[in-house]
Amino acid sequence: MSKQYLSWGSADNVHPIDIFSLAVTDKQILSASGASSIQVHSTTDPDFPLAQTIEGAHKVGCHHVVTDGRGLRAVSVGFGGELQIWACRDGTWSKNDAGSGITGSGEVWAVALSENGQFLAGVSQDGHIKVWDLNVSGEQIQDYETKGSFGTCLDMSADGRLIASGHENGSVYIFSTETGRMPFSLSGLVKPVRTVAFSPAGKLLAAAGDSKVIVLFDTSSGEQVANLTGHSAWILSLAWSTTGEYLLSGSFDGKVKVWSIDTKTCVATHSETEKAVWSVKWLPKVGRSEGFATAGANRSIAFYREATGG
Amino acid sequence: MADTLEITDSPISRDDQPPQSQVQDYIDSTLTAVLAELDSPDGNPAITLKQRYKKGAFFINSDNGALETSDIETQVSYTWPGKDRHEAWKFTVVIRILEAIAQAIESGLVVSKRDIYYNDPACFGSQRVVDMVVDDIAHTIGVDRAALNVEAAAKGLVAGYYRLTTSSEKFLDARFATNDVLIPRAEDIKEIDMSDVKWVLILEKEAVYRRLARSGYHARAAAGKGILVTGKGYPDLSTRAFVRRLLDSSSRGPDTRFYALVDSDPDGMAILSTYKFGSRAHARENNKLNTPELQRLGLCTSDIVSGADSLGDDAFISLTPRDRRKAVAMLKNSPVWAVDGPEPEWRAELQQMLMLNLKAETEILYQREGGLEGWIDRKMAAYVRDR
Repeated sequence: MSKQYLSWGSADNVHPIDIFSLAVTDKQILSASGASSIQVHSTTDPDFPLAQTIEGAHKVGCHHVVTDGRGLRAVSVGFGGELQIWACRDGTWSKNDAGSGITGSGEVWAVALSENGQFLAGVSQDGHIKVWDLNVSGEQIQDYETKGSFGTCLDMSADGRLIASGHENGSVYIFSTETGRMPFSLSGLVKPVRTVAFSPAGKLLAAAGDSKVIVLFDTSSGEQVANLTGHSAWILSLAWSTTGEYLLSGSFDGKVKVWSIDTKTCVATHSETEKAVWSVKWLPKVGRSEGFATAGANRSIAFYREATGG
Repeated sequence: MADTLEITDSPISRDDQPPQSQVQDYIDSTLTAVLAELDSPDGNPAITLKQRYKKGAFFINSDNGALETSDIETQVSYTWPGKDRHEAWKFTVVIRILEAIAQAIESGLVVSKRDIYYNDPACFGSQRVVDMVVDDIAHTIGVDRAALNVEAAAKGLVAGYYRLTTSSEKFLDARFATNDVLIPRAEDIKEIDMSDVKWVLILEKEAVYRRLARSGYHARAAAGKGILVTGKGYPDLSTRAFVRRLLDSSSRGPDTRFYALVDSDPDGMAILSTYKFGSRAHARENNKLNTPELQRLGLCTSDIVSGADSLGDDAFISLTPRDRRKAVAMLKNSPVWAVDGPEPEWRAELQQMLMLNLKAETEILYQREGGLEGWIDRKMAAYVRDR
């Protein structure tokens, strides 16, 4: 069975350089790029108007931006190694000092925020996974050590109990935030992992990268439960739909795919660009229709909506 | 082993070259003053040199496309016997080098930095010391190093479809030569006939250059006749001056293109930038050495990744911590990679390397369909088509 997603508009040339990361709230989409500003577009209006430009957010460019589940807090990481915390009030973002006490973040590459915005997790270039509590000025509360391979990606489960990281040597780790331990070791991938993502209920972890395969792990056993094959280039980004029924993936050759978790098959493929898709994100549901956004080396954000019968 | 063009024997006439007399005047007055101080019982001999720019603000001059600085220069004085052994030694080094320059000018001969060093290796300690002081002296007097009759040991190589007349009226036809030649000094070139040349390709890697030169690629490229140049990594001044000389050549057709093929890593990007915009160390000379028309033929991250399947895993190398620091420093400090700078694509390229933590060497193109030459043919054709 295939599904149809229709192009639903785009925000063109939002940034003068590659868009490396997208983050969404229920009303907005934040985009971070190799330029110095973060752009905020409204997703409640079909024209996706620009809502705010955060000028000079990261002088040498920004490679990760994440939001919490409430849409009140965002964190961005710049190529210079700096972390910025942002707070949203009435739809406008401003710099926030909740992370003023954060130390040891200089080597952090990828980050994730807990649903309630309290905890910030990051994986570093030397493979450490750290957690900071933003309710107490960013005090470091955890520091997990792995085997030292570059940490390329990170995710935190919605309930905050698990953190997963992907590494350049193909390793995938899952940590329990309660025990501070790895419940089990995962078999990982052979080639660099570029993206990891927990399903909304936290039962599955999806991981993908240069091996072009999406691997699904059962987070209660650590077993590989499925391999989703079909991409012919490196996979750079993954995202789960809110119900966990569908997984979205973007790859270096510009292809975007939607996978049914039920049937473990690809149900839709989009190839509007030949340039790398660095980031994919689902958008909040409008009625019964689900949609998503993609961005990357073509410097624009493309929006898609599920085609609903009639 | 490379052959030289044997054109360094042309004596330079002092009368025609005012910079030469500036040098003469400077050396005469400096040495006279030092001797006078040495003669007097409580004399305090000192030499003051202007130091070249080390830090401060750099920018791209939009008129000439050169990397320039607004830095205020600093001066440093060395006295004899000085406050410590280091100062006494430095004073001695400067005096010895001034003597060597005075002799070279007196006799009308050109000496190399290497010659000067080997006059007294024990005193100078390293070649680098000589290089720095020679450049500082030229900078202090306000002339090119050539005016000191000192040249760097030539490093760059050239092979190509050109003919050259030297300032001593020697004629060299490089078109059918099979041996590669050291890059001639720009000031020894009276005329370069490159009327048949469609492209100039700068290679970072000597090995890549040799492969192309040996197979005569400059005579049989799909894009027409061309010239191959390598500076063996970061180019020296004479290589940069030569490329600029090609750019300024009156026989150059308006559609002659200048390309560079460098490794996909931060050093490759910095080498590219040195040719196109200049170096921080020679900010004052960049406007005479830069090649604003230079285009980056490769190697791009996207080229490597999209051909990943045919290359095998060995083609990919992780950036080292030093590579990452260098890339970040370039993004932070150089106007070339600034967000509003002249090369947004170069900025994106460095950032993509950091994102993927990946670099690759030019040599991986040997494995591509049609080999290195086929790849260059296709890239050059794409550039001609696009612009």
